[in-house]
Amino acid sequence: MASQNPSQSTSQSSGPATGDQRLDKDTRETLVSVARHGLLLAWSFVVLFPLYWLASMSLKPPGQANALPPDWLFLPTVYNYIRLAQDGAFLAAFANSVVMVSASVVLVLLIGVPAAYVLSRYAIPMERDVLVWILSSRMLPPIAVVIPFFVIFRSLNLFDTRIGMVFMYVSINLSLVVWVMKAFFDGIPETLEEAARVDGATRFQGFRKVVLPAAKPGIFSVAIISFIFAWIELLFGLVLTNFEAVPVTLFVYSFIGSRSIEWGMLAAASMAMILPVVVFLIAVNKYLAAGLSFGVVIKE
Amino acid sequence: MSTQTQTETTTSETGVARLRALWNDYLPYWFIAPMVLVMVLITFFPGAYDLYLSVIEEPTFDVFAAEFVGLNNYATAFGRGGAMHSFIITVTVVVSALALETVLGFGLAALVAGVESERLQSFYRVLFIIPMAVAPVSLATIGRIMLNSEIGVIPYLIEATTPFAAPAFLSEIPLLTVVLLDTWNWTPFMFIIFYAGLSSVPDTLIEASRVDGAPLWRRYLHVVIPYMKPVVFVATLIRLIDLFRTFGVVYGLTQGGPGTATQLVSINIYEQMFINNSPGVAAAIAVVYLVFVVAIANIVIAKVGFEGVWD
Repeated sequence: MASQNPSQSTSQSSGPATGDQRLDKDTRETLVSVARHGLLLAWSFVVLFPLYWLASMSLKPPGQANALPPDWLFLPTVYNYIRLAQDGAFLAAFANSVVMVSASVVLVLLIGVPAAYVLSRYAIPMERDVLVWILSSRMLPPIAVVIPFFVIFRSLNLFDTRIGMVFMYVSINLSLVVWVMKAFFDGIPETLEEAARVDGATRFQGFRKVVLPAAKPGIFSVAIISFIFAWIELLFGLVLTNFEAVPVTLFVYSFIGSRSIEWGMLAAASMAMILPVVVFLIAVNKYLAAGLSFGVVIKE
Repeated sequence: MSTQTQTETTTSETGVARLRALWNDYLPYWFIAPMVLVMVLITFFPGAYDLYLSVIEEPTFDVFAAEFVGLNNYATAFGRGGAMHSFIITVTVVVSALALETVLGFGLAALVAGVESERLQSFYRVLFIIPMAVAPVSLATIGRIMLNSEIGVIPYLIEATTPFAAPAFLSEIPLLTVVLLDTWNWTPFMFIIFYAGLSSVPDTLIEASRVDGAPLWRRYLHVVIPYMKPVVFVATLIRLIDLFRTFGVVYGLTQGGPGTATQLVSINIYEQMFINNSPGVAAAIAVVYLVFVVAIANIVIAKVGFEGVWD
């Protein structure tokens, strides 16, 4: 079937497509282009409308936030943001998230990057199985993982601590870091380190001074992607914290239970959570596909 | 005194040298050991501990004091625990969201890749990844506001601009709402990987098929997609795995309700553990879920294989 493809497709396309071909080529191309841009605009609207709505809610004065029909024109106010900045619980949760997630990213890089280097450069017995095993840590549903850790953390006094949360955040990103960095190291020619070794550098120096700098874009992007995955995590905060180590996701969630929801403040809190990540995503845009695909799509 | 310090420094110097030699000679082991340690801790330990919790009466650290109850907890889980219902709900959500996100992601990637203006292309590429910045729980709260039957802007707009009555998103079609929110959130993931995959298809390949006169859909089906097979495989595999982890968007949106209409397995386990206070039942469902997800992922990996992915 596939081998006959050329002859078949020509005969087929001249069949049903005759009507089409009467349109001259320019018109057809214009039509395709119009359809393309129409669809892209439609999806842009789908993407932007909820975000626009959230942003406008956060900037509306209280009482106007949920007016229907919507007040499309309104005088923006930073009232909600000011109230948010005075809210101790929000500030604590936001600071917690920044500290815990950043620490987890540093730690996961320290653990994952050297391991990825070894997986890339040395002959590992059953390498494929090892890699699938590493990936399997991502397959485990967090809820199944968190129950044992809930019990253990209580007895080790790690419950509701930042250290415990940092460990959990490391656990969700380690497989990603190892896979992506292995792919990046695979793409760095070994001759570079060999040259350094000839010049008298030790293995470790070769790694630190030659390989790591060459892998910088990979490290940068995998760090940001790990940050995002930890930043948006709710379940661990819900189960393993209750006061001291509450992350910002749990703060946003806690709005839902309260009887009279302050929509404007909720919207402002959500915006505060989203905006840094948008900046990060744009910063890492070029390597996002490589990172998200666990290093399989390495080009571009 | 001075001689003593002298000898001390020399011994410590040789000590340092010995340590340094040890460090460099066994470098690969030092490098990989922490990762292996953490991996063992996060893969084998939770499964084993879930298994242990699932066959005893009450959680206890003393293995010998624990009262063994056999498969009682499993019977409870699949009896009044509603585990079966949760598995069906989960599979429904995972399969439909995965299908939607794959098709939409690919369609968008193909559309964007065809835009002539480079600048416009990178504009769309950046714009379309933004939903990923929204944490599922934030998305759930946004959804609660915008989809609310009384104060929501989306039901309002539907009724104001179309002749149709807006459905009650959170009470009549909660499952569909969950799928649609997840699609909004994670289609960018598929989009950006497919887009990178599409841009790696050599132009000559596309040119050749265009000269053949093959219609567009045929070109994609027989030339582009086979070329991109590893990319498609990896993107769907990772998204599949991640979909089984879904929690925040549903918990924030409906908390499994109304009733048990959106009670995913992860939410069922959470409620058994923290609302019903029955860790044994929670652990029993967790064990089944764990085996279920790992088995599915491994079957997919074995069936499709990583050929071309890392060889």
